[in-house]
Order: sequence, then structure tokens, then C-alpha cells
Amino acid sequence: MHSGGIDFHTHPLLVREMVQRYPGLQAAARDIFHIGNTFQPLETFLLELDAAGLERAVILPVDAGSTRGAKLYSNEQIAELCALSDRLIGFASVDPLDPCAPQVLQKAVNGLGLRGLKLAPGMQEFHADDPKVFPLYERAAQLGIPILFHSGMSWEPGSRLKYGHPLRFEDVAAKFPELKIVLAHLAWPWVTDAVALALKYPNVHLDTSALYFDNPRDFLQFAMNTQVPLTVFERSLRKQILFGSNYPRVEIKNMARAVRGLGFSDECLDLVFRANAEALLGGAQ
Amino acid sequence: MKFKLKRVEVQSRKDMEMIDITDHVQSAVSDAGVCNGLVFVSTSHTSSGLLVTEGIECLERDVLAHLERLAPKEPPPGTYGYWHNRYLDFDGRLGFNAGDHLKSILGGIQCFFPVEDGKLVRGGRQRVYFVEYDGPLARTVLIQVLGEEC
Repeated sequence: MHSGGIDFHTHPLLVREMVQRYPGLQAAARDIFHIGNTFQPLETFLLELDAAGLERAVILPVDAGSTRGAKLYSNEQIAELCALSDRLIGFASVDPLDPCAPQVLQKAVNGLGLRGLKLAPGMQEFHADDPKVFPLYERAAQLGIPILFHSGMSWEPGSRLKYGHPLRFEDVAAKFPELKIVLAHLAWPWVTDAVALALKYPNVHLDTSALYFDNPRDFLQFAMNTQVPLTVFERSLRKQILFGSNYPRVEIKNMARAVRGLGFSDECLDLVFRANAEALLGGAQ
Repeated sequence: MKFKLKRVEVQSRKDMEMIDITDHVQSAVSDAGVCNGLVFVSTSHTSSGLLVTEGIECLERDVLAHLERLAPKEPPPGTYGYWHNRYLDFDGRLGFNAGDHLKSILGGIQCFFPVEDGKLVRGGRQRVYFVEYDGPLARTVLIQVLGEEC
């Protein structure tokens, strides 16, 4: 157990209460996100956190309105879901190429109380280092909120890997040193490149929500001990690693067990499961 | 002949858990209006089970521990792996819970009892359990009562 632990990467796409209120979320889950599991009561989500020994979860939307014709939760729906449980931490999403995106983000943070921004370059079809998106980064930095980028491979149909390469995030990290950046999924398969970015840029963080073959235990041993030695994460990046599960593609309990089994020190596990997430979220207005 | 099917949602709260559903079966029989016949109980999920055993906590622990030994969630490193550990494109996620499916097969997914004079007939120590192997999840148990109408 990690008291106060946070799962920094979940998608609320299977929450039954929200699908009953907004039937369009069913098609978003099935056809856009591409998840086939049964819809579950919110209670199951919270029990998943209990089973993993965690207290809270960041819930992530994706505004894919202009590329897929739907939002995987609007900012308002995220706020509505957060109102059902104080264990949920809502992030916003915006269309990054919409000139109004900075204002939409500001409204989501100041008006709805959302505490970060999720962007998915593959699903939203933009390159993270496109200067047209820079005003959005500037606004996020001013607001003091983190941006969690999908990076690496994506399972969603139609999402291309080219948008997820970690080197597309270097200009962003360099030009916006105050911006708190999280690269999700260890940017797998480019874990070495993602680690290089995090080593060079202290504002770059990595989340552990990576599972592309085998099981969580064996995959994370490969990605976080074979591709890059665990000592690199422990000694050099211990304040830049966040626990994330990618629930419901993977159960939180399974990813938590896998991360705890990697061989990190207790001090490092507390950073990964709690303190680093709290530090990132602490600056939200 | 009368057939009455009842669907009961069971919320498991742990990764692995035995949940006593005898009262649900009993009330399904009472409500069915069947005097003499059978009650058939089944889980509708492939990583859960349906078992009949004595209703004491120590035995519940032994049942779960024994099935985990026979079909572990994660086989010891370097021994063997499951073919199911792969991306399932129809589900949009990886499998990796073969051990839980195997427990379901080993423990079984169904049971039935006689119904006599409108009552469930079972041994004094027998309890009916829904068994969760991959929870927590909201699950559906099917209870079918069939027989002569009262």
C-alpha cells in the first residue's frame, strides 16, 4: 500500500453511470478508443483503486472532435464525473489546433476546476512541436498545470506512430522550461529516447502506463530494466517517474503490482506512486 | 412446465473472492412459483466461477489458494508463460489473465439443486458461491428455476 497513492493515467470510458447519461460515450469507447470490456459502475473503478492500494486517479479525456468526430468525454463531463467522487482528479482536453484552445483550457481549469491537460497527438493528428500549438503550451505553463501527452505506440485504430516519437517533444521541453510535461506509456518502443529527454530536461516526466506484450510484470521488466537499466530510473529520474496504469486497457491492480515488483527502493516507490504526482498537481490554480 | 430466469448482479470487491449467493438462489426459488423441479445456477463470465462448498472462511481461503497454485496469475519467472499474453484486437487490450480463465475451468461455472414443495433442497452445510478470479467487477449470475407450476 502507498498511502495517498495516485494513478496518473486512467480513462473513464467504461463508467456505466456516465454512459447512461450520455449514450454517445458508448460509441466513443467502442469505435474511437477501441475497448471491448463491459461497462461497469463507478464503484468498480474505485474498488480497482482499493485493490491496487491507491487513493486517487487522474481521469483523462481526449477532444477528438475535429479528427474523429467525437470527444472521449468533454471537459464538462469530466467535471461531472469528478463531482461523483473526490477520489477522481479531472484533466481537460482541447483541440490543439483550434485558435481558441488556450481560452478553452483556461475556462476548464478556472471554471470547471480541472487540473491538467491531456493531448493525444496520434488521435488528434498534430505534431507536438508544431508552432501553432505553442500558445496552448504557454497558457498551460501560466496556469501551472501539467500536460500529459500520449507518446509512443497507440492501440487506437487510425492513430499513427509518427506522432508519438519522443523527439517531437524536445522543442516543447526546450522552449517551455516552466511547462510540466508528462510523456505517457514510457513512449514505448522509444524508451531510450524518452529517457534521454527526461535526463536532459527536468520538466519532462514519464509515466509507467506501458503494456504492449506479455504481462505487466514481464513487460515492465523488459522496458524498465532491459531496454534501460532500472538504476537509471532510480538514480537519475526518480523525481520524474509517475505511476500510471492506462486503465481500463490494463487493470490498475496489475500495473501497480508490476511496478512494485521492479526492485525500486521504498523511497523511490513513494515518489513514483505519490510524491511526484502531488508535486505536478500542486501548481494547479 | 414453468421456466423462470433471474439475473443477479454481484459486485465483487477484491481481485479474488468467494461471495455466498445462497440467499439469492433461495429467493429465486421462492419467487418462481415452481413446486417440484430444478434450480440451475451459472456465472456468465469466463474469469469467474460457481462453486458449492461448506460456508466457512478458512475453507474459502483454501479453495482460492489451491486454485491459484494450480493456475497462477503469473507463473514463476523463467518457467512457462501463457499463450493468452498478447494483444486481443477484438477487445482493444492485452489478455494476460489466462490463469483466471483456467481457474474458472478447474472450479466450474455451474451448479444445480432439486426443488421440492417450492423449496430449494440442499445439504445442511452446502452453500452456493459466486467465485471472482479477476475482480473487482460487477458480474452477472443466472438463476434458472424450472419445473411443475404450483
